[in-house]
Amino acid sequence: MIISSERPERWDESTSFGNMSEADLDRLLSLSPFKEIKPDAFPKRLPLRGILQHDTRLRKYSRGEIVVRQGDHGTSAFMIISGEVRVVLQPELPASILGRKDTVRRSLFRSLTQLWSNSKNPETRQPHELSLGDEVASRQADGGEVRVVLQDVPRVLDRHQTAVIEAGEFFGEISALGRIPRTATVFCEKDAELLEIRWQGLRDLMRHDKNLRQRIDQIYRERALASHLLTLPLFNALPPEKLEKVIASAEFLTFGEYDWSGDYKRMVKSGSANASDKEPVVVQEGDYVNGLVLVRAGFARLSRKFGRGQRTLNYLGAGQHYGLQEIAHNWRKKNSTVPFQNTLTAIGYSHVIVIPTAIIEELVLPAMPVAQLPPLVETTAQAGDSTTGAMDADMMEFLAEHRFFNGTATMVIDLDQCTRCDDCVRACAATHNNNPRFLRHGPINGNIMIANACMHCSDPVCMIGCPTGAIHRQTFEGEVVINQATCIGCQTCANNCPYEAIRMVEVRDKKGRLLVDKDMKSILKATKCDLCVEQFGGPACQRACPHDALVRMNMGSLDHFAQWLK
Amino acid sequence: MRISRKTQWAVRLFFFVLASVLLALWFKENIAALPRATYLTGWLLLTLMVILTVYNGRKKIPFLPLATSKGWLQFHIYAGFFTLLLFVAHIRFRAPTGWFEGSLALLYALVMGSGILGLILSRTFPKRLTTRGGEVIFETIPVIRRSFRERAEALALQSIPEAKASTVADFYAQELAGFFSGPRHFWQHLFEVRSPLNRLLKKIENLNRFLNDQERDVMRQIADLVRQKDGLDYHHSLQLTLKLWLFAHIPLTYSLLIFSVVHVVLINAFSGGAR
Repeated sequence: MIISSERPERWDESTSFGNMSEADLDRLLSLSPFKEIKPDAFPKRLPLRGILQHDTRLRKYSRGEIVVRQGDHGTSAFMIISGEVRVVLQPELPASILGRKDTVRRSLFRSLTQLWSNSKNPETRQPHELSLGDEVASRQADGGEVRVVLQDVPRVLDRHQTAVIEAGEFFGEISALGRIPRTATVFCEKDAELLEIRWQGLRDLMRHDKNLRQRIDQIYRERALASHLLTLPLFNALPPEKLEKVIASAEFLTFGEYDWSGDYKRMVKSGSANASDKEPVVVQEGDYVNGLVLVRAGFARLSRKFGRGQRTLNYLGAGQHYGLQEIAHNWRKKNSTVPFQNTLTAIGYSHVIVIPTAIIEELVLPAMPVAQLPPLVETTAQAGDSTTGAMDADMMEFLAEHRFFNGTATMVIDLDQCTRCDDCVRACAATHNNNPRFLRHGPINGNIMIANACMHCSDPVCMIGCPTGAIHRQTFEGEVVINQATCIGCQTCANNCPYEAIRMVEVRDKKGRLLVDKDMKSILKATKCDLCVEQFGGPACQRACPHDALVRMNMGSLDHFAQWLK
Repeated sequence: MRISRKTQWAVRLFFFVLASVLLALWFKENIAALPRATYLTGWLLLTLMVILTVYNGRKKIPFLPLATSKGWLQFHIYAGFFTLLLFVAHIRFRAPTGWFEGSLALLYALVMGSGILGLILSRTFPKRLTTRGGEVIFETIPVIRRSFRERAEALALQSIPEAKASTVADFYAQELAGFFSGPRHFWQHLFEVRSPLNRLLKKIENLNRFLNDQERDVMRQIADLVRQKDGLDYHHSLQLTLKLWLFAHIPLTYSLLIFSVVHVVLINAFSGGAR
């Protein structure tokens, strides 16, 4: 029996991003670079006008308003239609100006005061915790969007080196396409009109317009790729001229959906969260080895055929690569070459860089000491299991199914050693004004429980879309924390978090009275584990466990986890 | 060679036993014969007991940098066992005399005994809870138990109009209502005795031959709830024991400390310079 169903459209009402009128579209198409783009190059189902109508929107910014903040995870790029904006070069703007919080570790005396000053009422806030300070304010733009505003623009211009970005120029495209944090803060010195292009639209514009693709590729190569490759041991010893060749040969590819959090939640509901066959394939087992795949952002699953399915061997995060062993094997054993031994698929979203095999063979492998070359490929049936040697396949599937590899401080509990004493919960409450910030409960595999606590993800989807930047990283790649003063209770972070680790709470004053706004609605704030950034000695939960049953672990390092499991 | 986390205790125990034997030999050769050896062992014992008691205080102030609770517990265990050596040396290998000394020694034995019991429980019960499955937070057990009872009652009542007979409902009222009304078989769960559950399931099985298909289906669902409730009772029993032993260990410790201080006062007040 065939059941008819409505096919989801790329631009139906619920997924459209744009706010363009026909007049706006005409104006946009008369501006560079859109007037130079040939509409004929676009397929009928994905016309240029449609992309601009549904994947872009016009936004007006006033003097002092922050457009993007350094460190935020954004999903869109911007083009200046009129006016100009300023990008802060150095020194960076202090956290307090950006609507964030300068976390200061408590003094010994302040730590001790928690013994008697913790509130008896839940979720109380002191006035100073909710105060915005003098340097920053928020403003409601048209459409209800809240924006953080710099109060003293001349002072910012005096104290910080800035550069002007003028009409017709793009910014934010690297962050949008690569899912990497914004590298600088951009604000409006004067009123400006910007075109915001979401990443899907930018991707499609680049796909069908060669000039735009070359322009953005060039920017990507110049600004982001060189610095990224130099962080990898494989390339950091290469002389500059060879590195340039590597950069020139690199190809950038994006797999999966940017909104993997929403997708993941839907997959969990439908019971297909671990269906690797539905994941976009980056590299197929048995295919010709055409290049080295570097994961730049997101995650990828390494798997091998097993029976009728795929057995997960490992997962790769940002900075990890696949294919070097096969390339090195073929380079050394020209008479017995091998194809890719495993399949690499994007889990949720992956942005990868592919360096062609010929370049690796010509420039990278000859520069590597023989002892550092990867071992030859063993093509026996058991060979694939070596990747997971430290951990059983069941645990690997569990970690992949629940996307726990994303955590840099995942709360792992060994139930064989946990006496369920709740000392961890009490310690957490004692260090957070009597409000525990996690649940000692969560998915279990064998004797391992991953508790419901913020994992401080390497890909923090909770940070995407926070209108005021209240949720932010404490330091570069550091703890994800929430500034209670600038949190407006919009729930974007809580809805985005695929692990349900963020809770919205109604806040109270120190007498326990609910705080309400002028409409008598209670004030909500987002709360979560902050990894005790203000406390001495690191996470109180881990330090409070008497039985070594609880640990905060970076799941990006499976070796560490496997060693702990023993 | 890296020693795995779960076998580190064996290494620690080996070195502890070795150090204790060496220390005991050294004590016997060099200290035991000294005139004030009892004073030395007594003060050392009291000092260690105070430090061991402070561990409970450390748990109340997790925000201070006072080393990890894991480190404290390891010290607590080994120093606790070491007090046994000191205690035996202090009483010079003889039975205590008088009611005060007797009470003091008894309190010490109770504290040590409850400590050893706690150690055994905390090393064995977690594995049993994990093996049994159905992980549950202790505080939520009453809520879950109530939901089981309500579901079982609803099933029993639902069967009356459907089967036009009250057999299942009567059976529920006679045999299962008590089981679902609160925690059951505390001691049996503690000692891993499964007979109460097996008896209940056997009764359900026996009843099945008198039921029609609809009633059998209801009874099958009730039997599932019985198994789940039994698992919940198992968790309740073991988790409660893991919490309760501390309620014996800690008050006994404070009593021992008070008795020890009185003991020190009495010794110094009435020894008259005797050694």
